[in-house]
Amino acid sequence: MNPFFRKLRWLVERRNKEAELREELQFHLDEEAEQRQAEGVARQQARWAARRELGNLALVAENTRATWGWTLLEQLGQDLRFAFRTMATNRLFTALAVASLALGIGANTAIYSFMDAILLRSLPVADPQSLVVLNWHVKAGVPRGEEGQGRNFVMHGMSGSTWGDDQSGTTSNIFPYPAYELFRKNDAVFSLAFARYPSWQVRRLNLAVKGLAGIATGEYVSGDFFRGLAVAPAAGRLILPDDDRPGAPAVAVVSYGFSQRRFGGAANAAGQPVLIDNLPFTVVGVTPPEFFGVDPASAPDVYLPMHTNEPMGAAHQFGFRSERYLDRNYYWVEVMGRLRPGVSLAQAQAVLAPAFQQWVATTAANDRERAHLPALVVKEGAGGLDSLRRRYSQPLYVLMAMVGLILALACANVANLLLARAAARRREMALRLSVGAGRLRIVRQLLTESVLLAALGGALGVAFALWGMRFLTLLLANGRANFTLHAELNWHVLGVAAALSLLTGILFGLAPALEATRVDILPALKAARAGGPGARRAFRQVSLSRILVVSQIAISLLLLVAAGLFVRTLSNLESIQLGFNRENVLLFQLDARKAGHKDPEIADFYGGLRTRFSAIAGVRHASLSEDSLIQAGTGLPISLPGAPPGNGELLLNVGPAFFQTMQIPILAGRDFEERDRPGSPAVAVINKAFAQANFGDRNPLGQHLTLWEDDRPARDMEIVGVAGNARYGSLTRDVPPLVYMPYNQGYPHPDQMVYALRTSGDPLRYVNPVREIVRQADPRVPVSEVRTQAADIDQTIAQEITFAGLCSGFAILALAIACVGLYGTVAYNVARRTGEIGIRMAVGAQRGRLVWMVLREVLILAAVGLAISVPAALAASKLVGSFLFGLKPNDPATMAMAMATLLAAALLAGYLPARKASRIDPMIALRHE
Amino acid sequence: MSQPPTRVELLQGTLDLLILRTLLQGPTHGHAIAKHIQQTSQDLLQVETGSLYPALHRLEAKGWIAASWELSDKGKRARFYRLTPAGRRQLAAEQSKWDAFSRAMGLVLKPADQEGQ
Repeated sequence: MNPFFRKLRWLVERRNKEAELREELQFHLDEEAEQRQAEGVARQQARWAARRELGNLALVAENTRATWGWTLLEQLGQDLRFAFRTMATNRLFTALAVASLALGIGANTAIYSFMDAILLRSLPVADPQSLVVLNWHVKAGVPRGEEGQGRNFVMHGMSGSTWGDDQSGTTSNIFPYPAYELFRKNDAVFSLAFARYPSWQVRRLNLAVKGLAGIATGEYVSGDFFRGLAVAPAAGRLILPDDDRPGAPAVAVVSYGFSQRRFGGAANAAGQPVLIDNLPFTVVGVTPPEFFGVDPASAPDVYLPMHTNEPMGAAHQFGFRSERYLDRNYYWVEVMGRLRPGVSLAQAQAVLAPAFQQWVATTAANDRERAHLPALVVKEGAGGLDSLRRRYSQPLYVLMAMVGLILALACANVANLLLARAAARRREMALRLSVGAGRLRIVRQLLTESVLLAALGGALGVAFALWGMRFLTLLLANGRANFTLHAELNWHVLGVAAALSLLTGILFGLAPALEATRVDILPALKAARAGGPGARRAFRQVSLSRILVVSQIAISLLLLVAAGLFVRTLSNLESIQLGFNRENVLLFQLDARKAGHKDPEIADFYGGLRTRFSAIAGVRHASLSEDSLIQAGTGLPISLPGAPPGNGELLLNVGPAFFQTMQIPILAGRDFEERDRPGSPAVAVINKAFAQANFGDRNPLGQHLTLWEDDRPARDMEIVGVAGNARYGSLTRDVPPLVYMPYNQGYPHPDQMVYALRTSGDPLRYVNPVREIVRQADPRVPVSEVRTQAADIDQTIAQEITFAGLCSGFAILALAIACVGLYGTVAYNVARRTGEIGIRMAVGAQRGRLVWMVLREVLILAAVGLAISVPAALAASKLVGSFLFGLKPNDPATMAMAMATLLAAALLAGYLPARKASRIDPMIALRHE
Repeated sequence: MSQPPTRVELLQGTLDLLILRTLLQGPTHGHAIAKHIQQTSQDLLQVETGSLYPALHRLEAKGWIAASWELSDKGKRARFYRLTPAGRRQLAAEQSKWDAFSRAMGLVLKPADQEGQ
């Protein structure tokens, strides 16, 4: 038998084995005694001699047992049993300690699970480590590409996103198609380079299966996309290079989840004909269940071959144009690659960067463009695109720091409670040391206790974390149905929780354990109770606990300041003057063009629906616009008559009664009305900012504006109204000069429309009648993005809402934990000084003075804590400066409020024991000694 | 029984070898092992009971000897130890190691004797 299993069996048969050992040793003694008797020694003496020869029987047994190999385990068992008994006798202490640890560990686990999901998780594909993402970067000082009219930069047009700021310069992951072909040819570096194009046009598709229309999210992918990622289909086949060429039969691949929702299973989906934005496609296959594409921020339902953007774009007035495949200055494809085996990231960078450099130099049209060429950056692609990381990594680090502080607070608290208990257990420790217990052994036993506490806290914390993760997902998703981020409790996260528990257990247990065993045995045994003589030791204990309290106060202030800053930011955001009334408005989106409606009928379709919506009982006004005000952002060249077309003025295409519905005040002139229709004189309403910028003191009513389409005048509009400034495109940016135009008076022709219904009572009550009206009008048009205007706004400040909520929670938690710690310390000190207080009262001290005496100590602790943390808070708040709105990081009001809150809480925590002290009966207190 | 004038302290680790060697002659109990070692060494080696039993249990844990309850020659229940095949192999290895060691010690300490042969 394997020695390990033999020992294991012995462990199981332990009691038996103990008996056997006793019998074996007894046999030895008998045998020895008999032998001596046989040699002529008297019976009794023979027995004694045998015993003498054997020596200390208990020690022999002990040493023998030690060879059985589970002494450590057995001692651990003893320690655990003892720890459980101790915990059971101190229920309040145990509950407090476990609860505060559970909150600390749970909060850390929950936040860490999000870090794991966002920052650390790899794509669920084969060998993700060999994937790379291509980016370009250009140093600061170049105007952003979008306004490339000045031609300072080689990117003359784009579809995608760039990010960065004035200091760090601009970075992006979009390239011209010819650049992608350049990378694809480089087979020294790549075994495959592939691309995707998450065009705005396919982000919301109308996908009809057997005549049943629904919304689907999509993206274009190159023919090598799935081969490059090494993804195998769950059914059918995936997109192949042959599908990705002009004129190829239109095919699509759907995600596993989508196949379940819309086709009733992956096997049913393959081979199905579908209509996508009214164009016929064939679904040829299904991706595997775990696959979500390469961007963790978006999980497309449908993958289309890249070149199908030509027929898709042709059907749209601003759609993709096939010339862009050849355009070397139009940036749109996102490129990833799989490195050849053995090629490192650095080698790839060294080969590709000069190649790109050389190519991009040939695309520059002038010296300014040549001076600011973008440089290629090869980044690791195991985690896919970094859109989520860019968006959430900074907030996550801030949250992680906060929950880290909470855990530190909880640790300090438990350490403090343990210290107070160690003082109470000094006699026990002294007794144990005096009967020969090793100090190490006692420390080990005390550590077992604290690790057990932490383990219980950790187990409870994981449950708490599960709840917290669900809550956080809700907060972050903020109503978005297609939220793709799913944190989960994998072994990774559980491992971190377990490690945290163990670490905290040792961390908060070690100091009190060492302290507890550093006892002068004699005085401790003589002292009737905790306290008494040995004042030097007592002083050290108290000062350790004071340090803990001071650090708790300091940490709490940090969290309070953070909470104050975020709550004030949120309240600043919520008190922003919108310029319209956000209450009681229902928003939803329709896209009739994608269902097959054409000009000019589409405008009538939209208009007819508006009339029917206004007729719903309880709908006071109804209107429509191409986007909701806060999410809008369209620019087209508009100029005053005679002036050349400019870079583009912001505009919003709206329907009749828009200002009445949104309750935007009309300062002069009129709202749009039914009479503003196709064929009637073109009109426009401008906002106050536009009037001030372009007309100054002149009356804008009756003036004309020209809208340009490709350098030709497309509409000549008469200004019939001036509206008040209403927020446009953002909650926080200044209201820009803005032109409102009827959606149905020619170019630009209407695509999707967002309807706004001003309702009596809860807007969501009207969703069902709305769906019914749309279904009757045309079942091919799905109703999407249903939300209230208030939710629409909240979505843009989701991060601020999340932060304010979480931080307030954290701060309250921190304050509670710190107060418990403070209360415990003061109460302990009062108990220790009962005798002294009794004497003071006996010689005539007044109650008020006694209360003050105790409170003074609290105030000193609080003052020291504040003195440490105010500079720290001032420094740390700069780190969250970018999250704030309407106030500076070192906002004095917030700081003052945090300090006042903390002092008030500290005084309250100190007052209770102080009052108790002042009620001490001197006679009882004196007898107590 | 006369006490020998000097007693030899057991070298570290040699007790295991002695136990294994003793059990080569057949299974027996702890007391008999101690007496056997004492007698065959002509009382030069005295086995401390305090270290005998931990050693026996250690060897058992290693799988070199096995134990079972049997009746002693006087008819009493005793824990008998016997060599296992693994113990035999261990004994052979230890024995040759010990032989080499004692030969080497002899060579160093009494070079004249060796030359004299």
